[in-house]
Amino acid sequence: MPKNRTSQILTHAGLILIGMYVMFPIWGILRLAFDGSLRGAPTEFRFLPKQFSLEPLLQVLDKPYQSVDFLTLFRNSLFVSTMATVAAVVLGTSMAYAFARFRFPGRQTGLFVLLLTAILPPIAFATPLYILLTLLKIRTTHLGLIIVYAAFAMPFCIWNMRAAFQSIPKELEEAAYLDGASQFRTFLQVSLPLALPSIAVAGIIAFLTAYSEFTIGWLFLDQSNRITLAMAIYSIVQTGSAQPYSQLGSLALIVSIPAIAIFVLFQNTLLERMLFGSIND
Amino acid sequence: MNKLTNATLRYLLIVLAVLVAFGLRSHAANSLSIDFDEDDYLRAGQEFAHLIRTSNWRGFLETNYRPEHPQLAKIMFGLSILKLPEEPLIADVAITDPPARLLPPKLLNAARSMSVLWGTLTTFLLALMNPLGGLLLALHSFTIKYTSQVMLDGFASLMSTATALTYYFSKRNSGRTGSVLLIASAVFLGMSASSKYLHSAVGFAILIDWFLTAKENNEVKKFLRNAFAWGLLAILVFFLCNPFYWSSPGESIRVTLEAVTATTTNPNVESANFPAWQQLKWLSTSVPLNWSRDAFPIRLDGLIFAFAIFGITGTWRKNRFIAIWLLVDVFLLFIWRTKWPQYILVATAPLSFVAAEGIRTTAANIAEWWRSRQKRREEAVKPSGKETARALPWLIPGSIFFIALTLLPIVFQFAMSMTTLSGSSLRDGLQGGIAREVIGGITGQIALPERNTPLDQFKVHYVGLLSYFDTLGYLSESGLTFFSYFWTITSVALQALLGVGAGLLLWRSRDRVRKFWQTIFILPWAIPEAVGALLWLNIFAPFNGWLALAIKQYGGEIPVLASLAGWERNPNLIFIVMLVSALWYGFPFIMLATSAGLKMLPKDVYDAAAIDGADGWQTFRYVTWPLLQPLVLPALLVRAIFAFNQFYLFQMFIPYYFQTADNMITLSSISYYVLYQGSEFAFSATINIIAMILLSVFVILMNRWGKASEGVTYA
Repeated sequence: MPKNRTSQILTHAGLILIGMYVMFPIWGILRLAFDGSLRGAPTEFRFLPKQFSLEPLLQVLDKPYQSVDFLTLFRNSLFVSTMATVAAVVLGTSMAYAFARFRFPGRQTGLFVLLLTAILPPIAFATPLYILLTLLKIRTTHLGLIIVYAAFAMPFCIWNMRAAFQSIPKELEEAAYLDGASQFRTFLQVSLPLALPSIAVAGIIAFLTAYSEFTIGWLFLDQSNRITLAMAIYSIVQTGSAQPYSQLGSLALIVSIPAIAIFVLFQNTLLERMLFGSIND
Repeated sequence: MNKLTNATLRYLLIVLAVLVAFGLRSHAANSLSIDFDEDDYLRAGQEFAHLIRTSNWRGFLETNYRPEHPQLAKIMFGLSILKLPEEPLIADVAITDPPARLLPPKLLNAARSMSVLWGTLTTFLLALMNPLGGLLLALHSFTIKYTSQVMLDGFASLMSTATALTYYFSKRNSGRTGSVLLIASAVFLGMSASSKYLHSAVGFAILIDWFLTAKENNEVKKFLRNAFAWGLLAILVFFLCNPFYWSSPGESIRVTLEAVTATTTNPNVESANFPAWQQLKWLSTSVPLNWSRDAFPIRLDGLIFAFAIFGITGTWRKNRFIAIWLLVDVFLLFIWRTKWPQYILVATAPLSFVAAEGIRTTAANIAEWWRSRQKRREEAVKPSGKETARALPWLIPGSIFFIALTLLPIVFQFAMSMTTLSGSSLRDGLQGGIAREVIGGITGQIALPERNTPLDQFKVHYVGLLSYFDTLGYLSESGLTFFSYFWTITSVALQALLGVGAGLLLWRSRDRVRKFWQTIFILPWAIPEAVGALLWLNIFAPFNGWLALAIKQYGGEIPVLASLAGWERNPNLIFIVMLVSALWYGFPFIMLATSAGLKMLPKDVYDAAAIDGADGWQTFRYVTWPLLQPLVLPALLVRAIFAFNQFYLFQMFIPYYFQTADNMITLSSISYYVLYQGSEFAFSATINIIAMILLSVFVILMNRWGKASEGVTYA
């Protein structure tokens, strides 16, 4: 590419401008997270924390919300998100495989429905599940929340696992099949191991969605010792300035770090997964 | 179809359009109550009628009641009541007063009848150019409203349509006929401007199209000479039609400008607090039901608008002038300060023309799809019974869970949407009320409730698909559907610009620099959306956000940012604040797709382009972009789906600006809102199902664009 001086300077200026735009709100929350002087919402403009301190972060790591301690919330988060992911991935695998490998009547319609449900907003599931889970009397339990998050994630996971299975050369399976392995064994020993990395990516996305979700959850749970870590953020927002905003900042930081790490590490794979690929094959 | 049937069909359609236009306008003229401004223009008509009766021609030089508008259309109203006995002048009240309670019925009838005539004639003229477009204009409810009341817009749009018609046919006729038509268009343009200033927009459209045509034929010099004469003629006609300007033009212009300033800044304009895009919202929906229950039996404005969007590219190819006409009108509506709905009559004629093209394109697409579907069916290999049997053991277990977790809730949601389930009837609903009513309703054992009969609010009731009509009407009238699409398109367009731009910048920089910046740039994508919304709320929150605190501390000294103070009270600023936040969250994804695409670009293509002497923009437009498309278009689509479903951002911000603009919110957020705050379960369910239907359009696009990208191989 043309690499004269002016164009290089302009390029850098552009990059720095965009970088400032990106960092601006992040800096805003970091400043809050490490300011020990805040008692509620901030009342004066500051670029740096007035009184740098790790206290808010430690406070959050101890008791982030009401009198519930961090470990309980963190355990809730891990439990709910893991179970929802496992449900979405494991229960959907066989269907993904069927759509990837076989032709059967109604397959095209099925693919359409699958893709449509994969792009629905979470609220499209939350409204009916609210009533359905109330009917089943499990609305305010962890099981209820697991079902909700699994419903959000399942279509997306199935769609992605289908892509994963499809990318495995059919010849490999046929070779195993000819060697006398059963259909199930072929799947278990040939296809599944090869598709596993892609399946893991789908699972990670499902996990992160559930782990960082914090408003829909409040439709379902009502006891403070059952909520997830992310849900505590929203409760602080809702109560206004009752709690120091530094804790809000710290909590947001803690919730985001795993997601950031995974996205930065797997950016290319995630990009590909989120582009859905095409419906046709 | 042979030529004769075609022509017959054409004439029948024209006749139909005229009949429908006349019928609907007469009906509206008889049933509409008196509106703002009708008293003003009727009074102006009275004054002119008096001058004519008393042969006081000098009076025309100084008579111009409501001088923010020119004279011609008001004189026309004078002619309409000329034959009627004179009545005392209608009271002169402030422009901000509520509509008059009573106007002399005979005068009102005569003036409204004349409006109807103009409206019907406008339809006829448009139908001459495009019969289907004429029919759509005949059905357009806002056009009906303002061409059946005493409003200036009726005559003005007749004149501007005549201007367009004469120019349109002058392009198709060479020689003498063409010239005569062209001269006629200048005359009509002068008359458009002297009916209502904004209607001179069609003149700008003509000049643009004329210039483009001249440029293609290398006749720019000839164009300049002719257009100058043409414009002069239009101005002359304008002057002739407005005796008000004869005696002292300078003074009259001053009076006019003063009146325009007064009407564009009056308290009604301030309190309406319309956003810049308000006129697009008016165009996107029919006259609200609560303005008039029965004046507009047909309410298809929303569909006409949607088809116009589909038709704009086709019209640009076939009838560029009409497309320019529409775009110039919409642009003027966008920048014009007052946003009253009657102004959209500037644009409804070209809009109907373009919508007709949209219907044609859509019909052709559906026919094409149907044909290819049958072809595909014949060609497709039928799945063998053996293969189906092998698929079943895999399909069944997964499907059971998929159905239980995903499809069942959606089906249940559909059932909910056909009831009245809400907070007060929740108990009944949970005790089997939903199933009772839906099953009873579908099997016909429970009848639909009569409209306007009170229902027991503690019981669930079956209302069938009626709820959809109500909800669709509500979503469309309140501007929520319009906002969803407007939001999706603007926010994704911005994300595309910044995303592709950032991708290109990264590509031009050195390796190590690139890695550093790319990691920074993907942070917004990596941060969970809900947290991202929180980050921006921390900046923009009124009172204790960073911005508010900075403004409090340093006053208005901070240049650009100070103007954002109080953003939560101004719809335009609200939109900007939301866009800034959504752009931040959305551009990295497109940047990544761009970077991924750029890595695969073959270098020799650029060398070839450079040798051929292509400049930077040409290289991008004809070399880079086509090669990037297969990756960037799907990314844009994914972002569009995200924007359409955008939830957390609105969830965080809406409490702050709800008072100002409760319709600036996406469907999924409003669905959450009515569920969480109002316990309107059935309403929420209906909105979700509607959103789902709208989203299926995206799936169809994904399918198409996915196919489009298949043919491209990466080098």
